[in-house]
Amino acid sequence: MQDLITLPSITFSEVFSTKNGAIYQSDSENCWYIDFAGKLARFDYRNLLKLQKAVYQIDIENLLLSSDKAPDLEIIFICACDHCYVLSLIQIIAIKELLQGTFVMLELNHIIYDRLHRIVA
Amino acid sequence: MKDIMRTKCLISSDVETLINQQIKKEAYSSAVYLSMASWCDRNGFDYSSDYFFKQAEEERMHQLKFYKYVLDMGGVAISPEITNIKIEYNSFREVYEEALEQEVSVTQSIKNIAARCHKEQDYVTLEFLNWFFKEQREEEYKARRALELFDVIGEEGTGRWEIDKHVGKISYSED
Ligand SMILES: [Fe+2]
Ligand SMILES: [Fe+2]
Repeated sequence: MQDLITLPSITFSEVFSTKNGAIYQSDSENCWYIDFAGKLARFDYRNLLKLQKAVYQIDIENLLLSSDKAPDLEIIFICACDHCYVLSLIQIIAIKELLQGTFVMLELNHIIYDRLHRIVA
Repeated sequence: MKDIMRTKCLISSDVETLINQQIKKEAYSSAVYLSMASWCDRNGFDYSSDYFFKQAEEERMHQLKFYKYVLDMGGVAISPEITNIKIEYNSFREVYEEALEQEVSVTQSIKNIAARCHKEQDYVTLEFLNWFFKEQREEEYKARRALELFDVIGEEGTGRWEIDKHVGKISYSED
């Protein structure tokens, strides 16, 4: 979380990454950038939570066990958000892992932030 | 790195989920009381019907209090879907038995939210919940007293008529 990657105009902090993707936080814009499935998409607070909810709600076990012929593609569409994902089962597992890691790191950041800046020792 | 999550919302997502479940529970209680008011009215228990109409309104008020709290803290309040409200009861007594059971269930459920708040050191929500604990003291007391009338007065003869008349007089005071 400490290494900063400097891009032309904005500064990102990497929140969490896996070999399949990464999520960065932009302090200046109060938002997150998700590098996944070949694109970099911007999510604000509300939309990041909606994405988390949408992904966590997918019943992966059920998709794995279902034998119907429909291709195992899942469309993740988020209300009032510019982005949508069309993901395969493997990608769903990957984005879920990415989000879970991200939310753990954000929670950890909250604890650290409290200790460093908010709580009088 | 900024703590954006915390600046946007005071309560954790776990507490938010629990309160949303409670919102549904209060809405359900309100709908059940309304159904009880209807049954009592149909069966000639006018005072009980009035009592349950009033209870239905109170539960609606509880629902809104939780609802507004979630929104004020920066969370997402979810308007619940209420189904499975029964229409018929087997007896006058059964109505009051279920009314008490419902209040007990609400108290337990709010205690469970408080337990979670303790764990997270969410003293803000704990303080908010105190109002409800005080309210539940009264709600359970009234429901228990009403049910006790069935034993004190007895259902024989004009007993049920007598019980119905007394229900409106039940009140709770701390001292
Ligand atoms: Fe209530
Ligand atoms: Fe109640």
